[in-house]
Amino acid sequence: MIPTDRSRGFRFSRIATIAWREFRHTVLTKGFILGAIIFPVIMFVIIGVMPLLISNEQVPVRGTIVVVDSDGSVARAMENAFQQLKKPGDAGNGLSAADVSDALKKTQSGDLAALEDFTDIAITVDVTVLRMSIDDDLKEIKEQVQSGKLLAIIEIPAVLLTADPAIGIDISLLVPSNSPAKTTALFARIARRATVVARVEQTGTDLAKAMALVREPQTETARLTNAGVQAKENTQLRFLIPGGFMMLMWIAAFTSANQLLTTTIEEKSSKVIEVLLSATSPLELLAGKILGQGFVSLLMLSTYGAAGIAGLAFLTMLDIVPLSSLILFFLWFLLAYFMVAAIMAAVGSAVSDLREAQSLVQPAMIVMMIPLFLWLPISENPTGWLATITSFVPPIGPFVMVLRSTGAVEPIPSWHIGIALAVNGFSTIALVWIASRVFRIGVLMQGKPPTPMELLRWARAR
Amino acid sequence: MNPTITNSKNEPAVILRGVAKRFGAVQAVRHLDLEVERGSLVGLLGPNGAGKSTAIRMIMSLIRQDSGELRVLGGDALDVKDRIGYLPEERGLYRRMRVGEFLFYLGRLKGLPRQGLNSRVESWLERIELPGVFRSRCQELSKGMQQKVQFIGAVLHEPDLIVLDEPFSGLDPVNARVLISVVQDLHREGRTIFLSTHQMAQAEQLCERVVLINRGEKILDSTTQEVTQRFSPRAVEIEPLAGIHAARSALEAIPGIESVQTAEDGRTAVMLVNDQTDLHAVMSLALAAVPCRRIEIARVSLDDVFVRLVTEHGGHARQPVRGAA
Repeated sequence: MIPTDRSRGFRFSRIATIAWREFRHTVLTKGFILGAIIFPVIMFVIIGVMPLLISNEQVPVRGTIVVVDSDGSVARAMENAFQQLKKPGDAGNGLSAADVSDALKKTQSGDLAALEDFTDIAITVDVTVLRMSIDDDLKEIKEQVQSGKLLAIIEIPAVLLTADPAIGIDISLLVPSNSPAKTTALFARIARRATVVARVEQTGTDLAKAMALVREPQTETARLTNAGVQAKENTQLRFLIPGGFMMLMWIAAFTSANQLLTTTIEEKSSKVIEVLLSATSPLELLAGKILGQGFVSLLMLSTYGAAGIAGLAFLTMLDIVPLSSLILFFLWFLLAYFMVAAIMAAVGSAVSDLREAQSLVQPAMIVMMIPLFLWLPISENPTGWLATITSFVPPIGPFVMVLRSTGAVEPIPSWHIGIALAVNGFSTIALVWIASRVFRIGVLMQGKPPTPMELLRWARAR
Repeated sequence: MNPTITNSKNEPAVILRGVAKRFGAVQAVRHLDLEVERGSLVGLLGPNGAGKSTAIRMIMSLIRQDSGELRVLGGDALDVKDRIGYLPEERGLYRRMRVGEFLFYLGRLKGLPRQGLNSRVESWLERIELPGVFRSRCQELSKGMQQKVQFIGAVLHEPDLIVLDEPFSGLDPVNARVLISVVQDLHREGRTIFLSTHQMAQAEQLCERVVLINRGEKILDSTTQEVTQRFSPRAVEIEPLAGIHAARSALEAIPGIESVQTAEDGRTAVMLVNDQTDLHAVMSLALAAVPCRRIEIARVSLDDVFVRLVTEHGGHARQPVRGAA
């Protein structure tokens, strides 16, 4: 069935009407409001509030632990550590807030607490260390741990305290079954470090000096660009920012394009399509639907993007995403969305249900997944040959360009941007044109889904 | 070769000249000539799968004919969409959309201004006896109510040409009567109405002219009156007070009577009259010869014509065409 050429009588008011309906009936649904707006808001709230909730729910660590070691050196070191960790205001600990603060600052000078950063310990610690010999009978002590009367029993094998400590021998830490994980981890950390302190002390070495000697200095990496500017290196952000932008674009484009596929199939299966086509042309219908879902996509992009930029502003890191990158990002998004939307609309018009759509969409989806796999290699080398070549390959080009422009320290050569814009722009126009050819025939077809060859024939039909 | 259609202000609302359409191996419509005069009410009749919907879709420019010429309101349907109202055979609504919103949307697509559109929709809902459904969701309505909503969608913008594909199928008699009445009103307002149906009683009641197609071919194109006359059986029906058995010999003796048959009800005698004898003269003679409860000239129903013509032209149509919506 070859429909007539429907380019005549093209009216923008109809397109606007269709776009508005498409936008309104996608956005003002419980699913969208819940998924695209409320869910991220809840996530942000949870991320913000959760640490507060966790810190407020800490159970004070109060009680006695038994340390079993050969000469009592580990028990002493642990006792010392717990003394330093006592919170100000705790009855009988004798330490002020300043004392605790000092104790924690001694991380620079080699004290027991300094062997590991304990500043994250936000719980009240008031622990008495009871030392026992390895020859004592521990049966009764273990029963007390089991019943919760004791916080823990820690056994330090003597072979761990020699100048040449044995490998493969572990410290034994027994805690009651209901012991909080954070408390257990704290005991383990202090036991490990106390063992090291005792071991070092036995050799007569100055612990502070030893620690100062083995402490690795930090590095501050900067990249010297062609412009001679030293760009400060932030390895994690170098990967996260491009990935975040690319994912944001991918999710926004695909969510709306997928919605386009679903609504087209619904209109076909509910037979409302013929009513619509009596009032509008297939091209107007397609244009309206793509534009309407495009605005939905932009809304999502704005919601998530604004939250991300607000987060960067909060961290005073806005400088890592310059305005020019944001403008280009918007351009790449438009190209990506129109390409994906054209594919989905064409498929939606050609099939009768979602199951049939899957077989036609699958090859396209595999191609569209490529940017996700290219994230790390392109972020690693945004100006390399892989990044350059894939920038010019539609429909993944826009996604690759986003990875490159937000991840590169060096500016992307303008001719790369120019060619990528030209190639991907032309491909977008071509894909939308092909989609419109398929759409005008597909929307009125029923029965078995077309083969790829039939789709090509539809696209070439007069 | 068909003559080229010339454009004039008074040309028929719909003109088809030698229009044909094939779907694969199936010839859905073959060499169809058809004219629908402006302001007329024409019925397109035919059995299921005869090609009615295909012809209508071509008129609506939803699909293109393989050959032949086609003009709607002086041009192409694509250029005058806002002047055409169309009720497709396949009914469809946005299930979750509210009725008022759906009709507002269709009205806007048809170029109606926002202002006053809602009150126009409400007025139509009242007119078609669907008050109070403006805010209901389409899926909450019964099938018949949904069909009426769709009908409003076809006429809301007061089109010059209204094309209705099987408008009464699936409607109960009460709702069908409401719709028939509205169609008659629209016709009286001067709108051209072209409807397809296979329900002969409704076509007979509504249409000024009927076009009958079978297997994609036109087999009848005539006014309803002409059809009645042309296919009249030349018979007089009489219901004698004393019964057919007692009256038969008297009726057979009337000049010009070829035979006397008993109708299906068992009470009525059907006197078949030869071509040379006046039917009214036969009635006068019969009244004088036999006391009767009722006597009238037998009428042919469109249903009879339909069955007769379709049977003569090779029986019922092929299986419905696959591929086309």
